[in-house]
Amino acid sequence: MSRAPGAVVRRQRPLPSIVAITALFAVAASLAVPGFTTGPNLTNVGQQTAILLMLSMPMTLVIMSEGLDLSAGALLSLCGVVLAKLLVAGSGLPLALLASVAVGFAFGIFNGVLVSVLTLPPFVVTLGTLGIAQGAALVVTDGNAVTGIGPAAASFYALAPLAIPISLVIALAMWAITHVLLYHTRFGNGVFAIGGNRDALVLAGAPAHRYHIGVYAIMGAVVGITALLLVGRMNSGHPTVAIGMEFDAIAAVVLGGTAFERGDGRLYGTVFGVATIGIVRNALNLLGIESSMQVVSIGVLVLLVILLDSWRKEKGRAAP
Amino acid sequence: MEALKTLRMTAIAAAIAAPLLAGALPAQAANERLAAFYKNQVDPHFALVRGGVEAMAKQMGAGPVTNYAPTRPNNLAEQLSQIEDVTVKRPDAILFMAVDPRGVVPAIEKVNAAGIPIVNYNDRVAGGKFVSYVGADDFKLGLDTGRYALKAIGGEGGVVIIEGVKGSTTSDQRVAGFRKALEEFPKVKLLASQPANFQRLPALQVMENLIQGHPRIDAVLAAADAMALGAIEALEAAGRKNTKVVGINGVPEAIQAIKAGRLLATGEFDGFKIGCVATEAALRYLRKEPVPSEIILQGIVIDRSNLGPWDVPMEKRTCPKWADVAR
Amino acid sequence: MTALRDRFGDEAVAFALRLLLIAAVGVALAVFTEGFLSAANILNVLRQASLIFLLASGLTLVLLAGGFDLSVASNLTLAACLAAGVMQATGSPTFGALTALGCSTVAGIANGLAVTLLRLPPFLATYGTLWILQGLAFQYMGGNEIYGFPAGFRQLGTGFLWGVPVPVYLMAMVLVLGTLLTRKLNIGYEIYAIGANPVAARLSGIPVRRRQLLVYTLSGLMAGVAALVYLARVNSADSGIGEPLLLPVIAAILIGGTSLFGGVGSLLGTVAGAIILSLVINGMNLLNVRSTWQPLVVGAVLLVAVLADLASRGRRERIG
Repeated sequence: MSRAPGAVVRRQRPLPSIVAITALFAVAASLAVPGFTTGPNLTNVGQQTAILLMLSMPMTLVIMSEGLDLSAGALLSLCGVVLAKLLVAGSGLPLALLASVAVGFAFGIFNGVLVSVLTLPPFVVTLGTLGIAQGAALVVTDGNAVTGIGPAAASFYALAPLAIPISLVIALAMWAITHVLLYHTRFGNGVFAIGGNRDALVLAGAPAHRYHIGVYAIMGAVVGITALLLVGRMNSGHPTVAIGMEFDAIAAVVLGGTAFERGDGRLYGTVFGVATIGIVRNALNLLGIESSMQVVSIGVLVLLVILLDSWRKEKGRAAP
Repeated sequence: MEALKTLRMTAIAAAIAAPLLAGALPAQAANERLAAFYKNQVDPHFALVRGGVEAMAKQMGAGPVTNYAPTRPNNLAEQLSQIEDVTVKRPDAILFMAVDPRGVVPAIEKVNAAGIPIVNYNDRVAGGKFVSYVGADDFKLGLDTGRYALKAIGGEGGVVIIEGVKGSTTSDQRVAGFRKALEEFPKVKLLASQPANFQRLPALQVMENLIQGHPRIDAVLAAADAMALGAIEALEAAGRKNTKVVGINGVPEAIQAIKAGRLLATGEFDGFKIGCVATEAALRYLRKEPVPSEIILQGIVIDRSNLGPWDVPMEKRTCPKWADVAR
Repeated sequence: MTALRDRFGDEAVAFALRLLLIAAVGVALAVFTEGFLSAANILNVLRQASLIFLLASGLTLVLLAGGFDLSVASNLTLAACLAAGVMQATGSPTFGALTALGCSTVAGIANGLAVTLLRLPPFLATYGTLWILQGLAFQYMGGNEIYGFPAGFRQLGTGFLWGVPVPVYLMAMVLVLGTLLTRKLNIGYEIYAIGANPVAARLSGIPVRRRQLLVYTLSGLMAGVAALVYLARVNSADSGIGEPLLLPVIAAILIGGTSLFGGVGSLLGTVAGAIILSLVINGMNLLNVRSTWQPLVVGAVLLVAVLADLASRGRRERIG
């Protein structure tokens, strides 16, 4: 169970169930759902999942480090509000983005210090910062949307290099960066080790605190970047828009096969988790399924994936 | 162990079958295909709107209506995805109410670009192009209902306002109307103005807490019936039966409460009518008949003397005549 | 503090800290607000705390045993809706109560079986059931509400007995019974042991799965009890009533010092947490503070509570 840092990465493991499930749903949707495979719809799915993908990438790191970040959704709202407020005040997009990232980063560092240095449970810490970020967003705006932000954010969001929406391009870039960070740097080994065996990491002389705080700081900074996409999408800042999005991100990560314990998991699994959520929601909307049944389907989907995973794990154990 | 395996396989099979069965519901093919949006599937007001939409669609021989409500109540991000998805589905017309008046504008512009006619109803959207807007004048409803309550307490005393979701048109405009009414009665003091998010339990608890700090409250102006009814529960439990409470909407429970003498009055924001008229506007537009760019349903203050027309279950209600509302 | 801790144990100190926090908030409010320090208002705060506590009590037991139950709030929603429907149809509060308790207990058993028999991770399994229960409530209610219950039944939520609100008696009763269960009976010791170390618990002969099933069942049952108090208090049910309660309930438990890792905490702590939460919101209403500040203040209180625990613990660790 305990693994030395550095010797952790590639081990032969079966594909997570989510890969098969994503494929199944994608095929089913293209056969059975009229309009699913059209260009505009696939663009939709891409745009809708981009924000979730952005959040889910660093969330995978957080969960691999045996952590959790419940504050991501509230923080995303807050960063969006900050970004929009600065745009209203007449600052340029780069400065506004910088401020948004700075706010996210500061919250991330705060979370990280409380979790790593003070050894407080991540769930508790980030539930506290969820409240603080949510409250700050509401207080700054008095609950109202921030509008009149000028065309900069929206026209950025409307960019589509090679007909791929910019939000998806950025999200895929985030995947690439996170992949390199996780699998090809010492920091990445550190992340696996924090989840696997933090004491061994400390004994090996690695800066465990710095890695651990880094995980949360990256989460915060990425939330700050994601705020630009969110604000561009709505052409306004909104203090409660991203409530609950952290749960979608956590669900995507865990559907992707990352476990809450022992730094176990794979980054691409998360990407499939995000894709499944996006495809299912889109297909149900295209089919015009009643919202109440959509709610039930999401629950069934979650249980289905974890059932499959646990069943295969059991089978694997029975016949090694 | 064998039993365990069987159980698990059965569970997996059931889990696979459920969404597939849901997906295999019959696809619809009929005359005009309408897609109708709601802010949530929790508040009975929207059940009334939906009733109106479906009644009029049936009456005018349109195809079945597809309904969309966010799975989390009033969730903007979900509503954005839903309107984008519906744009791909290309119904003949869309009936749309916004969770937030400004955040949805870019998505509405996409619908405009796709050339799908869209009628805005219930909550006004702050941008985009619509065939028509069908709704009520929330400011005037607040003003009229507020005035009614303040007159009923003799133009003096202490008053509490209970607000809905900050930033939503329905709450902000109604509360502005309440405040305007308060200006007309200089002897009335505003004791507190607290939001309760259009929900009953928060309204109940806000009221319980305010009762402790204010030994005398003469009237409560609530921006929606659900909150008015929550406040009444708190007042009755504290034995303060003399406090006059008004709400806005006119949901069935509020009408019953007026009949029972618990609620003083409510401003008419008739979901059923709004649903009817918005649907008729969309179908008329599709059938190349003229439709005014704005239809404001005049809402009255419903009290004991005139509640008859609303004291009727939804299935028995009839849509208003077009000539009476479209001017 | 150290001497106190040696003498009375960690938990007594943690509880004393919470009493101190309650006293501090109380004194501050008494100084600044009219009407705060009246018997009526204190009973009012207790009544508001009781609903949170009833829903949180079962979840506290689940957490003590090292599990999680995210579905409590939507379990409450479905139980309340079905009970309201039955009461409306039959006019009988008894049938209504049986429906609520039966339905919520069945949901609790389902959660328990998912965790014990199918061995699904509790956080995810109950996240799945959260959506399913919520979807069923949406489907059953169809957007409508059910209102107007018999006066006798309403006493459960609004009645007074010897000047004290009925729900407060319920809270006291559950607290006493729960404390007896967890502190005086063998089962309670086993629950703590399972939470602290499930492997060791199994090796020492504790029927781990049966105890786990028990706590999920109790969590379901308590959701049903809370649903009845909710109905009696509010006199109406719709499909959105539970969702806003989930985070406050978890916050109350965490403010009360129960650990998410199992084995640490108590129902007494959860009562204190629920009271602190209600006290803060009560004070903000009386001060006519805009409710936009509420999430921020609640988040800060949560962090203060865990930091206070840490400070007292940290000192002892440093000393020896």
